[in-house]
This record gives sequence, C-alpha cells and structure tokens, in this order.
Amino acid sequence: MVVRQYQEELKYLEKINDYCWRIKKGFQPNMNVEGIFYVNNTLERLMLEELRNSCRPGMVGGFLPGVKQIANVAALPGIVGRSVGLPDVHSGYGFAIGNMAAFDMNDPKSIVSPGGVGFDINCGVRLLRTNLFEKDVQPIKEQLAQSMFDHIPVGVGSKGIIPMNARDLEEALEMGMDWSLREGYIWAEDKEHCEEYGRMLNADPSKVSMRAKKRGLPQLGTLGAGNHYAEIQVVEEIYDKWAASKMGIEDKGQVCVMIHSGSRGFGHQVATDALVQMEKAMKRDNIETNDRQLACAHIHSTEGQDYLKSMAAAANFAWVNRSSMTFLSRQAFAKQFHMSPDDLDMHVIYDVSHNIAKVEEHIVDGKQKTLLVHRKGSTRAFPPHHPLIPVDYQLTGQPVLIGGTMGTCSYVLTGTEEGMKETFGSTCHGAGRALSRAKARRNLDYKDVLAKLEQSGISIRVASPNLVMEEAPESYKNVTDVVNTCHAAGISRKCIKLRPIAVIKG
Amino acid sequence: MDSTFIIIGGGIAGVSCAEGLAFLAPEEKVVLITASSLIKAVTNIVPISQNLTQFDVEERNIVTLTEMHPSVSVVHDLVVRVDNENKLVETKSGQVIRYKKLCLCTGASPKLITENSPHVIGIRDTESVEKFSSRIKNAKRIVVVGNGGIATEIVHEIRGVEIIWVIKDKHISATFVDPGAAEFFQNKLTQRNDKSECDRVVKRMKYTVSEGQVTKGGAALGPDWHSSCNVKGTSVASSKVQVEYECEIIGVSSEQQDNEEWPIYAELTNGKIIGCDFIVSATGVVPNSTLNGLEELNKGGDGGILVDSKLQTSEKDLFAAGDVCTVNWNLAEHWFQMRLWTQALQMGRYAAKSMACDLRGEDFFQDFCFELFTHVTKFFGFKVVLLGLYNGQKLNGSYEILLRMTKNVEYIKLILKDGKLKGAVLIGETDLEEMCENLILNQLDLTIYGEDLLNPDIDVEDYFD
Repeated sequence: MVVRQYQEELKYLEKINDYCWRIKKGFQPNMNVEGIFYVNNTLERLMLEELRNSCRPGMVGGFLPGVKQIANVAALPGIVGRSVGLPDVHSGYGFAIGNMAAFDMNDPKSIVSPGGVGFDINCGVRLLRTNLFEKDVQPIKEQLAQSMFDHIPVGVGSKGIIPMNARDLEEALEMGMDWSLREGYIWAEDKEHCEEYGRMLNADPSKVSMRAKKRGLPQLGTLGAGNHYAEIQVVEEIYDKWAASKMGIEDKGQVCVMIHSGSRGFGHQVATDALVQMEKAMKRDNIETNDRQLACAHIHSTEGQDYLKSMAAAANFAWVNRSSMTFLSRQAFAKQFHMSPDDLDMHVIYDVSHNIAKVEEHIVDGKQKTLLVHRKGSTRAFPPHHPLIPVDYQLTGQPVLIGGTMGTCSYVLTGTEEGMKETFGSTCHGAGRALSRAKARRNLDYKDVLAKLEQSGISIRVASPNLVMEEAPESYKNVTDVVNTCHAAGISRKCIKLRPIAVIKG
Repeated sequence: MDSTFIIIGGGIAGVSCAEGLAFLAPEEKVVLITASSLIKAVTNIVPISQNLTQFDVEERNIVTLTEMHPSVSVVHDLVVRVDNENKLVETKSGQVIRYKKLCLCTGASPKLITENSPHVIGIRDTESVEKFSSRIKNAKRIVVVGNGGIATEIVHEIRGVEIIWVIKDKHISATFVDPGAAEFFQNKLTQRNDKSECDRVVKRMKYTVSEGQVTKGGAALGPDWHSSCNVKGTSVASSKVQVEYECEIIGVSSEQQDNEEWPIYAELTNGKIIGCDFIVSATGVVPNSTLNGLEELNKGGDGGILVDSKLQTSEKDLFAAGDVCTVNWNLAEHWFQMRLWTQALQMGRYAAKSMACDLRGEDFFQDFCFELFTHVTKFFGFKVVLLGLYNGQKLNGSYEILLRMTKNVEYIKLILKDGKLKGAVLIGETDLEEMCENLILNQLDLTIYGEDLLNPDIDVEDYFD
C-alpha cells in the first residue's frame, strides 16, 4: 500500500455532488479506471475517518480501509467503467463488502476473482407477503416464530426438504430451485420472482470439491446451515403506493416474512478451493494485483471457468436453502392460522442475491458490452422495461430487498435507469446478516491472565484497540442512511419500509 | 421378535440413533433396549454456526419415543448376551430379538476413586444425581474430586456448603479451558456469595427425578443436570470454595482424624487430610464395553470399542456410538474425540446414517461434524464455545495464542500456527463462532492481520463473508 499523509490522500478524492465521490487514478498504483463511492454526510464522515486512521503511523497492513480496497479493485485487469462503492461499503476479504466491479468478457485479460463474490456465495434475501395484518400476528408471533424452523418435518415428500445424501445434493447443485420445485416444496411462480429464475444454468457439480459437498450436506434433522434467519415483519411505511401494490403490498401493518440465507459452509469451501487454484494460475499467467487477497484468474482460463461453474452450483445451493425456508415458513403460517399458504397469499415478492458474479449486457461508453459483473454485498437493481425482470415488475423496475441488521428496519427499493447507467444496475445490500452493533469501549485487562498463560511457554499476543485513535472507525452503518443515500443519488428508489416483530434463527 | 435395527442404550447416542433411523428408514423396524425406564431426548436444538449446536437434554418416559416415531419400539430390559454370528440379542427377562444391524450405545460409567465407601459418590447418571441431591441437603462440607465439566458445575452451583475442590492440574476446569480462562472464571469462584444468583442463566435442562423410577445403569446426564435438583446444603455461613491444586486423593478412611467428626476423611497427595460429609468423584469415565458375547471386539487403550470411519466395530453389522466407542480412523486435522454430549449426539445420528446406508448398500460421505471439534457449554454462567484444537491439542506446543479479554464480559483465545487458525475458545457473547469455524475450516492465511484480527474496534464478523 502506498503510504501518504491523510491530506495527501485527500487530493485523490473529489466530491462530485452531495452523494458521490470520485477516486482518481493514482490513489492506488496501476488503477485502470477510476473509483466512485456513494455517501451522505454521516457515511462520508465514517468513510474518511476510516481512511484517516489508516494513515496514522504504524497502521500499515491488516485491514485496508474500504476506499483503498475500491481503488485496488480498479487496478484489476479488464475492469470497465468504474469500481463502485455502495453506501454500506466496509472492508472485506479482497474486495470491500459493498463493492461492485464489471469486467469485459471479450477482453482476454479480464479476470474473475472469488474475493469479488465473497465466501458466502449467493447470500441473499427473500421477501414473502401475506394478507395478514399486525393485529392478526402479534398475539401468536412467539408460537409462530418457534414453530418455523424447529425441525425438518419427517415424511414430507419422498426425501427430506433439503438434499440429504450425495445424489440429492448433486441434483440440487445442478438444478437450484428446479430441484425444490420437482420435490414439491415451492410454487412454480416462486421461480419467476427470483434472479435467474433460481437456477444458474452453468452450474457444474463435477467442478465442486468433495470437501465442499461434505461441508454442504446437513446433519440429520437440521436445516443444515446455521445462521440462517428469518424475520416476521410489518409494513411501516409505503413511499411508492403504486409500485408497492404491484408487489401485493396494500397498506401499513401488512405482514411479510423476510428470509436471509446463503450457501454458508458450502460457498466458503468453493471460494477457498478457488483461491488456492488461482494463486497458482496467477504466477503462470503473470497476473499482478495490488493486494494478495485479490487472487483472480482470467475469465476464460480453466481456473476461471471452474470457479464460475462451482460458484453457480453454490448459488443454486443457496436458492434451495431459501426455498426450504420458504416452505417451512408457509407451513408454519398455515398451521397457526388454519388456512392454506395459498389462501394466506404467501407469494414470493422477490429474491435477491448479494454475493455473486453474473454475465450481463451493459452500455459502456455508448457501446453495448458483455460483462462479468461482480457484486459483493451489493444488489442487482434493474430498471423498468429491462428484459431480465419479471412481467409483474416490468413497469416498476426490479424490487430490491434491503435487510437491516437483525432486528432493525428493512426496505424494499426499486431499480432505476440512473442506476443502470451509473452503477451497472447495482445498489446497496443493507447490513446483511452481520449482527453489527455499536460496541462499547472495552476495559481490556490481561495482567492476571497473562501471568497464568505464560507458564505454558506458548507465545502470546494480545489484541488491543489502537490507542492512537481518538475515534474508533465505527464500521456499523445505519441502514436508513444507506437507503436514503441510494435514493438521493438516484441509483434506486425507496418503495416500502418494514419493521420486524419477531426474529427466528434457523 | 425380529427387528431390522437394534440399539442398546437409551442415552443421547442411543436415542439420537433411533430417531435418525426412524427418519432415514421409516419403513424398517427399530428396537431400542434400555435398562432404565427413562430415556434421554435432545431438544431445543439451536444451531450457533454450521457445525456448532447448542441443545437441551430431557429425560422422558420410554413411551414418548414410540409415540413420536412409530417404527421405534423400546424394550425396558437388560441385555445379557449378544450373538453377532446368529444376529440375536438375549435379555434378562428371556427375550430373544433378532437383528440385521446392531448399534452399541451403552455409554460409560464414572471412575470412582473407591468402590467401597457409601460416602463416595460419582455423578454421571440419573441415579447418582438423586443420591447427590438427597445427601447435599444435610451436608456442611464436601470434597469434589475432578476437573472436568461436572466438577466445575457442582462447584459453581452448590450453595451453603463448604467445598474443597481437589484437582490434579495447576488450574481449574482444565479439561475444557486453559489457565487464562480459569483465571477469567476465578472471579466468579471468589464472588460466590454475591447476588450473582439472579443473573445466572441456566435455562437449558428441564430435568426431574421422580422417586423410585430410577434403575441402576441409567443413561448419562445432560447439560444443566443440576437445574432442578436442590443443590443447597445446610451450612449458612460457609459457602466458600477451597481449591487444592495439583493433588489427588490417595486414600479415604472413616476413622476420626481430628477433633471434628466427619463421616469420611480424604487423604491428599499433598499430605492434607480433609474430613467431609461425602466425596463427589467426578474424575472421568470408563466405557461400558463389556457385554457377554462381545469379548472378541477390538478395543482401544481406554477400554472403548474401536470403530472405523463408519462407526463400525471390528465385526460386520455391529456398530458403536457415543461414550462406549473409541475412534479408530484417520482423524481430521481439527477434530479429536472427547466423551461429551455433543459427540454422543453427532455419533448417534451418524451411526443411523451409516447403518441405514449399509443396509441398502448406498454410498455416503462421513459427516462433516468429524472435521471440526465443536462443543458449547456453560460455565459459571458464561457461554463457553470450544472449536478445533482449542487448547493446542495435537500441536505439541508449537503454536501462538492471540488473546482478547474483558473482565467479566468475554474471553477470546485463538490458537494460530503458521498464520492459520487452528482452534478457539470463546467465552461470553462474542458473536465470533461462525467466523472462527470458517477460518479453521478454510485455513486462510491470517498473518497479515496480526493482532488486528481481534481488535475490538473492528467489526470482523462479516469480513470473511
């Protein structure tokens, strides 16, 4: 990393308007394109504070500030347009979480990077609506929440609700939501309201390592992948009544279910395997990056293709997970209200992916190009009339689901033309599943403990806050600030705000 | 009687195995033979991360198992002989039950420092808890021997009794935690008389011992076994704990040794002689691996029945799971065997899968839970999560510790070797379970982060997502 004084660093950053900053070439070495990030006043302060702290003496290495990571991505081979930081950007492995970048498929130098997708491949959010209102659900929300993911119901269909053995898993990896549909766990129309219809066609389970498959198979009687969660939510506010009604949301107080889940351990293993392969390929193909964590491979190399095929399998796996949770949610509601999920109108409003790379058509400098779009902690947000969004949303634009941190508000946005032009049809992803919370200053005290541990003769290092910092770089970004920034910048439009009334951990 | 599967033992492993078979092969008949009228059931499973599971253990009447799983029948009887050649089991009451696959889930028994004294009790099963809770009511001073989970819980939970805790290690709770964590807990040990009673969170086990229902040889206890038995003694004044470090008991006697009169006296290796009402022996377990007809099975050094990666014993169609078995396969780098509820549950379920697949001739993967050691428990009111080589097991001292601690709040210890995470101890509400689990399994190089990995000012929970 280039080490400069904070004031020097600032010369490379330029505020374009109230919500947008440009990162000029030279901020990091070898930048092929510029970077851009979206912030409002509060987020801007956090962003710059993080940079300032990293400029202090002795702060080299470790966690790079988000803005540096965005710039390092801008230096990757084959990148087009700009490296985009969304308002909820914060540092992550290789790419920052909340960074999107597109690479020209027709440029042989272009790369694909697992760090640009993330470990939890196709981590995402799905929203189900109901025709119930808060008063119907409040009195029994506890029972409802309890019954949701208790146990996998035995004897549903010929097989478990989730793939339980090696053969089922292979099929699920290949078929995604078509597997769930074939097994009878979802409705055919659910697929319509998912990106890619809940199935990436280039998935190839034979490219997935045995260890990843083992890691993906659940233990008997569990949903399989811990750290899923769902929320029962009620509509708190409607900003765009017309678009909301297209999604089946009519009034405040209406009850929805938001499902958060991804490919968990399976995705982690796919990403890890690819990183190892790509580190070797980089030497062979002479690919250089600013950061070792940005391991990558040419899109058309064996390693690049293998990764894309196994990533697609992981994405399919995540859709099966969300479908299983959808099934269980519908069952739980049906049981509590003695009505069929159909009569409760429990349709999928939409399902979005946060960590994924996809081949898409975009206009770059006036020319249509086929791009590999990496979105990490970022959501696709296509505008009205885009061919890849379902009929129901052709006029409103694609619904974008923004989950708050567990227990805070969530939002539904819609995609815009502006976003298509400026950010390759991408917007924020919300706080994701992270249970971030403001952490109180800790009173760290190791004296007695160290005395005891040192007897063992093992070398010990202790973690401490960097005392030089006057102010901690709070990585927690308020979801409302994030959403308002995207709205104000025009890269997506606010539609609905939701408030959780019960949280269910899977 | 004919059955496809027989399971011997109604503990966590046995019941999980029966439930697993009922799930995987609902059309096949399962017979569970238990010496006790109560069985163990795992409830309230909370997945904390992908491989880490917290759960409660409940005692239930044996009929409940059949009610929930029609293919499972429970036989309340004692097995006197297993004949694997002819695939049959004989019980004390004279029943002969045939099988295709058999799973031994007979558990383990507490090692007692002496067998012959009424004043020495082991705590392991339902019967011993009943004995313990009736004895503790009138006790003024007790000696607790052992340094594992049960000893730790007794010392934490018991009020109104003077406790002498005899441990062979340099620090308390050595089976589970390092000296640093013991120091972290030490506060709780010395502040036992505080109002801390009200903020103690013990909510997992609902466990009742009904009089006269208990038979000898019942299954092992579950977590929080003490939450419903009365663990208060009579002594109002003395509630203190005195720890005798690096000591063992060399002998017990009932002859009066000083001017105070006690039912029993313990002689320690450090020369002290301590009089007390009774001695609780919580020094580990011995597998219950002796069954007529199974003398030829290969056994490990600890007396457990050796099992391969499919939990199959040295004889075909004969499986073993839980405390009774000793693993004998090429262990994954970050896993090892420990006789814990967690592993009893995992093995029980996995044995079911293995037996069902074996019957059908299907291939299957070994369950991923054997790739990473995981255990979650509660000590002194804190959540304690143990992952991987959490005490540097198998690393021969060549590793590094990265530590973060906030007094009375959290204690985080990471074990690193060559910049890669090998294990972790997470005490308190750290929210780092899943990250640590993934870092151990992924083996990412973490050198670059240095101590910053645990910098409290950095939210690292989703960095590796």
